Amino acid sequence: MTRLALAVVWIVAGGQKMTDLAASGRAVNAYRLMPYDAAKIVGAVQPFLEIALGLLLLVGLAVRLSAGISAVLLLIFMAGIVSAWARGLQIDCGCFSQGGALAAGQTPEYAREIARDAGFLVLAAMLLCKPRTRFSLDGLLLGGHR
Amino acid sequence: MSKGAKERAAVRRIVADQKAREKRRAVTLWTSTSVIIVLVIAGLIGWAVLSGQETDNAEKLTTPPAAVDGGTAFAAGDGPVEIDIYEDFMCPVCRAFESASGDALQQLVARHKATVRYHPIAILDRASNGTRYSTRSAAAAAAAAEGGRFAEYHRALFANQPTEGSDGLDDAKLIQLGESVGLTGTAFADAITGKTYWAWATTVTGEASARGVTGTPTVMVNGSKLDEPTAAAVEQAVAAAG
Repeated sequence: MTRLALAVVWIVAGGQKMTDLAASGRAVNAYRLMPYDAAKIVGAVQPFLEIALGLLLLVGLAVRLSAGISAVLLLIFMAGIVSAWARGLQIDCGCFSQGGALAAGQTPEYAREIARDAGFLVLAAMLLCKPRTRFSLDGLLLGGHR
Repeated sequence: MSKGAKERAAVRRIVADQKAREKRRAVTLWTSTSVIIVLVIAGLIGWAVLSGQETDNAEKLTTPPAAVDGGTAFAAGDGPVEIDIYEDFMCPVCRAFESASGDALQQLVARHKATVRYHPIAILDRASNGTRYSTRSAAAAAAAAEGGRFAEYHRALFANQPTEGSDGLDDAKLIQLGESVGLTGTAFADAITGKTYWAWATTVTGEASARGVTGTPTVMVNGSKLDEPTAAAVEQAVAAAG
């Protein structure tokens, strides 16, 4: 089930970051795209947003919109990784962790991270095209599924 | 069926379809609005939790009086060139850097070429099964600095570095290491068990991030980051700066 898969991705990604918001902020700051104070806030808001999005997809409320927001977020993340890559930054994407810092000698795996996000983007796109799935609140509220 | 009845049935169908469409539109509007509200609230919760943590940390903050550079580092030597070293006691590469470059750094200090400022930071708390070894060891180093034994304790922590993913050294072991370098008073042990410098460790880690430290070890000579932190690179940069 595409919807559940994407929901799990968000909940896992958010859950791992939520345990240490300061680290999440540092991971965002490592991209060097915004001042540290802004990065701290983004780092704190993002995990909660990801979990909320995951839960919304899980229960299946306004799936088309949730999938659309998922796609937009994924595109932003991918843009961030590409820009870090282009600037030669040595960072871990922090996608499923508190990431951020890479010790000297560790190589970033930007291509793999982008490929993974692209995979998630495909899930989101599939949901965007066919948002009506079984066992969703949408189905319950709108009656049946087409 | 008469022509009139057929038409009436068709009209009813059209009306029913229209009602169903309107209902769907209303439901979609409400669910979409709910989704947006839920996401906004989730974001606000994240912000609130962060502010709460920061306020809490600020209240608990005790900056060790021995610390220099805005209370973030412990200095060795009095030379003109400033070498800033950001390290996490859980980081194996930091240990490797220390064992490869420790002597060279001591030389630079002894010959009054450079001042070395050690910044213990905690970026690897996730690597100690929730015991926050990075924070605990950085805080312990601050306590050692207050006892006048930062350099010795710093060496002891790297010599006894736990493996990443383990629980790290427990507080008893941290206290014992202190005793082994001459921190025998109760002040050191009390600072460890009382978590005196935990908030400080969190604060300096944030400060380091704000300064562009994205990993450990990060070595800066007069403020510019070395690409590869090696003894040779440090000596070269100091020679160029001095």
